[in-house]
Amino acid sequence: MKKLFAVTLGILTAFGGFVDIGDLVANAVVGSRFGLSLVWVVVVGIVGICLFAEMSGRIAAVSQRPVFDLVRERLGPRAGLVNLGASFFINALTLAAEIGGASLALELATGVNYLLWVPLVALVAWLVMWRVKFETMERIFGLMGLGLVVFLVALWKLGPDWGELAHQLTRPPQDEGLPTYFYYAIALLGGAMTPYEVFFFSSGGVEERWTSKDLVTERANVFVGFPLGGLLSIGIAACAATLFMPVEAVPDSLGQMVLPVAAGLGKVALGVVILGVFAATFGATLETALSSGYSLSQYFGWQWGKYVQPARAARFHVVVLAVTIVATALILTTIDPIMVTEYSLVFSAAALPLTYLPVLMIANDPDYMGDKVNGRFSNALGMVYMVLLLVVAVAAVPLMLATKAGQ
Amino acid sequence: MSAPRRALLTGAALLAAFGPAACVSPAWDDHDYALKAGKTAEAAASAVQLARTAVRHEDGTTRQYLKVVLTEAADDLGNVNDQFGGVQPPSDASERLRGEVTDLTEKAEDEVHDLLDQVRRDRVRDPAGAVRDLGEIAGRLSAFAERHK
Repeated sequence: MKKLFAVTLGILTAFGGFVDIGDLVANAVVGSRFGLSLVWVVVVGIVGICLFAEMSGRIAAVSQRPVFDLVRERLGPRAGLVNLGASFFINALTLAAEIGGASLALELATGVNYLLWVPLVALVAWLVMWRVKFETMERIFGLMGLGLVVFLVALWKLGPDWGELAHQLTRPPQDEGLPTYFYYAIALLGGAMTPYEVFFFSSGGVEERWTSKDLVTERANVFVGFPLGGLLSIGIAACAATLFMPVEAVPDSLGQMVLPVAAGLGKVALGVVILGVFAATFGATLETALSSGYSLSQYFGWQWGKYVQPARAARFHVVVLAVTIVATALILTTIDPIMVTEYSLVFSAAALPLTYLPVLMIANDPDYMGDKVNGRFSNALGMVYMVLLLVVAVAAVPLMLATKAGQ
Repeated sequence: MSAPRRALLTGAALLAAFGPAACVSPAWDDHDYALKAGKTAEAAASAVQLARTAVRHEDGTTRQYLKVVLTEAADDLGNVNDQFGGVQPPSDASERLRGEVTDLTEKAEDEVHDLLDQVRRDRVRDPAGAVRDLGEIAGRLSAFAERHK
């Protein structure tokens, strides 16, 4: 149990990347329209986020300073400000969507309209961020989110044609155009490698007071948490490919995407998966709100974090509160949370190089890292990913316009 | 660049980014209208199939959950009808096509609303019958969509 607790930061961070509100629905949409033909993107995303999260966690453990703190120092205030602006905007959009997502999960459980839950979810999230210890927070929501594992059991119970699923891995459906296929590929990759993950993960490492001695724990978090998130995301797509694809139904809401669990396993499992969805989206709410506070405070050099008394990190807590209020107001306009997060996935894809280039540079800088700089393999893979992320960043918005957001 | 010009460009960029999914373009000719009708039928068939799948497995769901899923399906069908209703048919032939597709989508919407009313009161009275009826409507919508691809 102690070992499981040790990797909850990785699990909680991975929820933001693979199974937050946008990813949950995007995975189901992809599964119902493209079968498993986009699984390769999830695998590319898992390898990429493991690579860069490991670097950012190592940076935090060795320097005892989070990534954003060093981005400004290493790249200068102007480049740091561009990075801050892009990530803060995406964070705020995603936070609004996550508050909506947690509220939608409560609507599924109670039948009460999600808009009535929005203020309560925001208030509880703020109270948790203000009062609950970082480790307690990550353990509760990281472990509760594991309820999403029922998707894997439901897949087995639905009795899919495994040969057909395997066939889909290499064959995209003929009636979907290539631009749409690549639009969803970019959205999935943008979701898997969303920038706030590395900011949250490295800040979380500092919150947990990692040092060079904790590199094993850091790597365990990376190599357990993110692949688990990726596996859940593939499981959701496979369930959708099994239940929805044969009848040409495309789920576009949280309620519809959990239907395979109800169909395969019944009411109890439906309750478990709704709890898992709530934990994952509420966890992502905490992740995005805290990441907003982390990035702004670290850029301006303010005291930040939950490891100090709130009074000693007042500006950090004010930022967290303010961004939570703005996000709540945005979602209360009745804007569709799913739509917000789908757009944020694509904007996130466009901002990926801004996030990961500084991580790669700092992880290679012996002034910060001493003898813990990247090895040749990490650097070679990192360079390959930088080229890929540049292509993705350039193609993201044109593809969104050309495909009318994947329609 | 002046501030008003910058604001205008920002607005245009946001419109370009968020606009595509939010509005319906007009139909230029009969072929374009038929394509839009086909897309409408396809979207409606998807919503009907989702409702049908939920009703088929209603013993594995709670009443609250089923209510939410059917409400979403009804809303989706309502949106499909509203959006297609906003496209002006360019000729009499397109007008007839409009009648054909809206008959089906409105029937689908009525059927799902009826099921929703049943769930609000208690449960679906005849799940097997509802699955059969929804399946028939979805089949006709899919066939229409296939003819107008």
